[in-house]
Amino acid sequence: MQVHVKLFATYRELLGSRQLTWSARDGLTLRELVDEVLTKYPRLSGHRDTMLLAVNQAFAGPEKVLHEGDEVALMPPVSGGSP
Amino acid sequence: MIEVQRGRIDLEAVVDSVRRDDAGAVVLFVGTVRKDPGVRALDYEVYRPMALRVLGEMIDRAKAKFGVVEMSIVHRLGRIPVGGDSVAIACSSAHRSEAFGACAWAMDEVKRIVPIWKTEPAPKVRSRGSHR
Repeated sequence: MQVHVKLFATYRELLGSRQLTWSARDGLTLRELVDEVLTKYPRLSGHRDTMLLAVNQAFAGPEKVLHEGDEVALMPPVSGGSP
Repeated sequence: MIEVQRGRIDLEAVVDSVRRDDAGAVVLFVGTVRKDPGVRALDYEVYRPMALRVLGEMIDRAKAKFGVVEMSIVHRLGRIPVGGDSVAIACSSAHRSEAFGACAWAMDEVKRIVPIWKTEPAPKVRSRGSHR
């Protein structure tokens, strides 16, 4: 199956890309996907502990099972607003 | 009203969007870009579909948690200069205490869970010519 991995802010800058198309085995969990991405792009590995994860525009836990065509977002901590 | 937009925020429109006959209080919070050493502007980036979804869920929770009548949240994107408005939250309720509480709670939630990131633009590098 294929999933789409979106990257934002510092992660996008580190990888030089907004989106990756990722080929993965059926039944892959979000945690396993993150493991694979960090193995391929070790520049992101220092951010793992603070990384926010979402699947199809909703926050998701690491055990969530992914499906064909899912949109996965890897996000640094948010910082909206000013004060 | 829920918006994530590049243009300036129309504060009057945000306030008007929460006016209701059964609300005796309207609170407006405006977040602006603060002047800090070396900061002339901030760049805001969003994961738009998720931000809109999370903001909608936040407004539903604010109504349930505080009993507010209506809430609007508008966030600006792109480069905003010092003094510019980056976010506006308006809230109406029967009495002022609920609206004040809900507005403060909503701003904390925006900073905690809405996928919007701000960065300081890189300073311009002044090229040094060879002529004197």
